[in-house]
Parts: sequence; C-alpha cells; structure tokens
Amino acid sequence: MAETALSPKTTLPTHIRSADSLTRRHWGQLLALAPLFVAACFTGHAEILSVLLICLVSAVAFEFIATKIFGKKENLRSGETVLAAALFSLLMPSRCPSEVVILGVFVAVFVGRELFGGTGAYPLQPLLLARVFLQLCFPQSMTEPILLAGEGSLWMLVSVGLGGSILLKQKNGYWETPVLFMSVCFACEALFGGNSMPLAFFSGVLFAAFFLLADPVTLPLTRKGTALFVLGAALLSSNLSPDGFSIRSAGYAILGMNLLTPFLDIWLKPTPYQMKRLTKATYPA
Amino acid sequence: MTGQKIAEPRGPEGVSVHAGMPGTVERIANLPDALGRESMIIEIRKNGEPKTIPSLEMLKGWEQIPAEELPRIFQHSGLVTTDPRMEPVHTKLQRHAGARAIIINSCEPEPYITCEQVLIMSHALEVLKGAELLKKTLGAKKIFFALESCNLEMIELIKSKIYSLKWEHVEVRIVPALYPQGLESMLLQSWFPGEEKEAVVFPASTAFAVYEAVALKKPFYERVVTVGGECVVEPRSLWLPVGISFQDAIHACKGVMREPQKILMGGPMAGTAQKTTEVFVVTGTNAILALPKEIAKEEPEEPCIRCNRCVDHCPVSLSPVMITLAAERKEFSVAKEWNVADCIECGNCAYVCPSKRPMLKLIRSALPPSGPEAARG
Repeated sequence: MAETALSPKTTLPTHIRSADSLTRRHWGQLLALAPLFVAACFTGHAEILSVLLICLVSAVAFEFIATKIFGKKENLRSGETVLAAALFSLLMPSRCPSEVVILGVFVAVFVGRELFGGTGAYPLQPLLLARVFLQLCFPQSMTEPILLAGEGSLWMLVSVGLGGSILLKQKNGYWETPVLFMSVCFACEALFGGNSMPLAFFSGVLFAAFFLLADPVTLPLTRKGTALFVLGAALLSSNLSPDGFSIRSAGYAILGMNLLTPFLDIWLKPTPYQMKRLTKATYPA
Repeated sequence: MTGQKIAEPRGPEGVSVHAGMPGTVERIANLPDALGRESMIIEIRKNGEPKTIPSLEMLKGWEQIPAEELPRIFQHSGLVTTDPRMEPVHTKLQRHAGARAIIINSCEPEPYITCEQVLIMSHALEVLKGAELLKKTLGAKKIFFALESCNLEMIELIKSKIYSLKWEHVEVRIVPALYPQGLESMLLQSWFPGEEKEAVVFPASTAFAVYEAVALKKPFYERVVTVGGECVVEPRSLWLPVGISFQDAIHACKGVMREPQKILMGGPMAGTAQKTTEVFVVTGTNAILALPKEIAKEEPEEPCIRCNRCVDHCPVSLSPVMITLAAERKEFSVAKEWNVADCIECGNCAYVCPSKRPMLKLIRSALPPSGPEAARG
C-alpha cells in the first residue's frame, strides 16, 4: 500500500482565499476617480488631462528607476503607480509649471514611497508629503487644486460624491471614515467659519474625506484608532488656518496625524477574547 | 478480521487500535502520515471481502454499567475524539474532571464538510445516548446540544427526540452557521466566558462512537468522512474504516473527474494539503477534499498594506497583522506581547488578506511549541 515515496512537505493552510486583492483595490479606486476627470473636462478644466499625462509618464519613469535601484519587482500591473499619478494630478493647481509637477511626482513616488520602504511600509502618505513639500518650496504657484479653485461648480460636487459612493460600495475602508470627517469639517465651518460656504468648500471636504483618507497604509490598525485618526485630522484641517478648511491645511493635518498612527496602534491594541458574540442566533419561530 | 484488536495501550494515556478491514498484518513501520509527521503505522494486507462486518448485538443492561467502569471501556475500544486533535476520550474526561456540563458540538467544523450533519440525521437517538454516557462518566449535570441555525430539520429532529426521551437536562442551543463557530474554543468562549473549566466539548460523532462502544461493544474503527470538493465525481459523506488510503476513499466516490490542484485532509481553512493520495484516514479525518485549480490557486504574496481586514475578522480579537509582521522579522517576543498564544488558528486572517500573505504559517511560527495546537502538527 504505502510503497510510494511520500514527499514529507505538505503545504500549509489556508487553501482558499477571498477575491480581494491589491490589484482589485487599486483599479477600483481608479474607477472611483474617473467621474472627477469626466466632470473636469465638461466644466472647462480640460488642462487637467495634460497634468494627468505628465504625472503618469513621470510616475511610471520614477517607478521604473526605483525598481532598478532597489531591485524589486515592478508593480505597474497592480495599478498602484497609476493610482498615485491620477490622484496626484487632482491635487495640482492650474497653471503649475510642468517641472514643478514632475518634482512633486518624484517626491511622491521615489522619496515618499520607495525610499521609505515601498508598498505598505511608508509612514507618511506620499502624495500629501509631495504636495506639502511643493507648498513649502513654491508657495506662490501651489494654490488650491484645479477642480476646487474659485467658487466651484455643482457638477464637480456631484462627481466627487459619485466617486465617493463608488468607493463606499467597494467597502475597502470603514464607512465612518468619510462620514466622520465630513461631519466634523462641516460642524467646524458652521461654528467658527464665515457665513459663505462655496460649493468648492463642499467638494474639497468630500474629496479629502473619500480620497485622501483612502490609503490604508498610513491609517491606524483598529476601527477605534481609525475613528480617532479621522477626528484629529478633521479638527486640525478645519482649524489650522484662519480661512477654515482647505486642501492645503488637510495635507498638514493628515501628515501630522500619520505621525501619531504608531502610538494609536499601541494604545488601542485589541484585547483578546473580547468576544464578538457569534452565538447570538435566535431560533427561527 | 474487522474490528480485531491489533495494538494494546502501553500506558494509561494510550488507547488500543483496531483493524479497519480484514487481512493480515504486513509490517509495522514509521511512515509519514496525513499531518506531515512521521508516525507508527500498522500496515494490513487486505484479504477477504471488506463487507464481512461482525454482527453486532445490543448488550443487555448497558445502561446499568457503573460510571467507574466506563473509562476502561473507552480505552479498550480505542475511543479517540473525532476532531483533528485526536485526544483519547478517557484522558480528555480525566483532564476535565469536575466540569458541570457537556457540550455536544454538531456544528460542521469547516466549509465543505457535512459529516456531522449526515451522522446526526440518521442516528440522532444514538448520539443523544452517547452524550448521556459521557455525562454519566463525568458526573456532569447538564448537556448542551449545539446546533447550527441553518439545519432546521436537524433542530426539529433533536428537539423531538429529547421530548420523547423526556430528558430535561438536555438543552438545545442554536448557534449561527458561521465559520469558525464550530471550533471548540469558540463554543466554550461564547457560553462560558472565563470559565473554560466548567464545560467540555465533544463532537457529535464522538458521542455516537461512545454509544456504539458501550451498548454494542463495537470498537472504534470506522467513522463518517466527507469525501468532496469540486473534483470528486460523486461527493458525499460515507462510512470509512480508519486506515483506508485517500486513494481508495476517493475511488469509493467514483474517483476524480479532473486533476485536483490540492488533496486536503480536513477543511479548506485549516486542513493539511497532501502531496500524494497514499496517506491514510485517521480518527481525526473529518473530510477528504479534492480542490481544483480555480479554488485552491496559489497567488503571489504582496506586502501588507495594513488594511485592517484581518483585525476586523479575527474571531478572538487579536491583531494578526502585528503578529505576522513581528514573526516575519523573527521578533517572537513582540508577537507574544500581541497575544499570539490566544490564536485559535482558524485561518480567517489568511482568507481575507488582500495581499495573500501566509498569515497562518507566520502565526504558527510564532506560537509557543507547547501550545494547545502543538498536537495538530
């Protein structure tokens, strides 16, 4: 019976895996960004497409250089670099010189992500790091992003809302993250801000709530910790500058909270056997 | 012949072993078993018809056997619990002496597996009587019968049997059909939080084997095993003798219709994959699964993106991400600080991980070797 030689190595569980994957998450987030680009083209901000092109080409180039230097496998197919480029182009102001954009992409992709250890290892959100870096170096040209400049338009707001609902539908993050961020920002603006709340303000808050807080790498590791993180980020971004909420202040706020993330992780370490009552089934009558 | 004793227990811990099929003992050797370990295996060359089952007769007055004698019967009938831990029944009872209640676990341990359900649907009364015997041996007061909420027919069946027996000390408890509810520690934790010594869990199939051993004097040499997975032609749960090879077990279900990617012993979440089918059914084998490529594919591993999925899905509220990151860097003291010892190895974290990281492998590398799961290999 047991004459055949048996290889002593048996593979370990788990043998089945959920369909969730990094590639799926990144391309899903890109899908959620699509309405923003469409709305930008229809509201006379077509220059965003050229910014997007610059970002894409330079991000892919820096990614390529990084893989050569650090000897890692490329992650173009997983959509991470494309996502970073698309999101970064939305953070750029209009009439921004292309060399400044390329410098920003360099800081985001090469310094912010790869130098800090690549996917999953960076402590600071690389896109916001790059934007804050540019804000400090070129304060004149780094105004609010193209889409949020001026009074804003209803179409913009609708497209950000649509993108956000696509993100929520994918259930990659907690639903309370954007809800908490938005409610705190609106409350702060209503209490301390002026009376004028242009549409651009709403689009900005929605954009930050959905897309700037969507990167799980720099968020805390528990649900409670994430809620605290969002609370802190929302309070800081509405109160850092006397003008109230802006993408500029949101960048500082989220980066600042990123520094607190490790402390939140340790402080809110889950207690084992805090039983999630799986046994609460009732007998169907 | 079938059911003949072929090995005697050496110490008070051991149990005797009984032949699963008629034949002659060919050799006794150390061979690799289905858990990937070396163990002593008695090889039997089959001769004669496998269907020559010795006739069984109900022992008269089995209900009057005193409780002190029952452990000896368990030991000499080769009774071992039918979960993957495979602890001898009499030592498990000894270890839990003084417990107030017995929990009969009829939850399927993992997806794909239906062996408990099949057994209870055809032998509900015997399972209940076996539970009563276990209760008598332990001197416990109560029996809890854990049933999955999806098995409505089974709930009705058990309730009607309890009603007809007029046993008021048996209580049916419905639990959601949700992995990993069937794990022993999960049942204990949800009903007796903080008092694990108060109750002892036995699978329903163990209770059935106890009944057979006492009332029919039938030694423990066969059990219900689910042979399934998408590759098997006729997947079903069937009685298999302990010691039959996986090859023969799958053959009994008309073989495989296409090349399986993995042959598993146990369920897809915590089972062990086999490289060949020349391994054998043991008492803890609840399923033999042949999974195709699209189900059991190996995907490339990516770095952790701290997405919190594993933290949210851990049934015992651990932080698998911290434990595995520490285990990857061989910082086992950090893993211990994050309570790795409380892990029940259900595999939920590995299932939900979007980066396809080998969470369970890393956690096992950080687990203390003397932990309760060490027996599982």
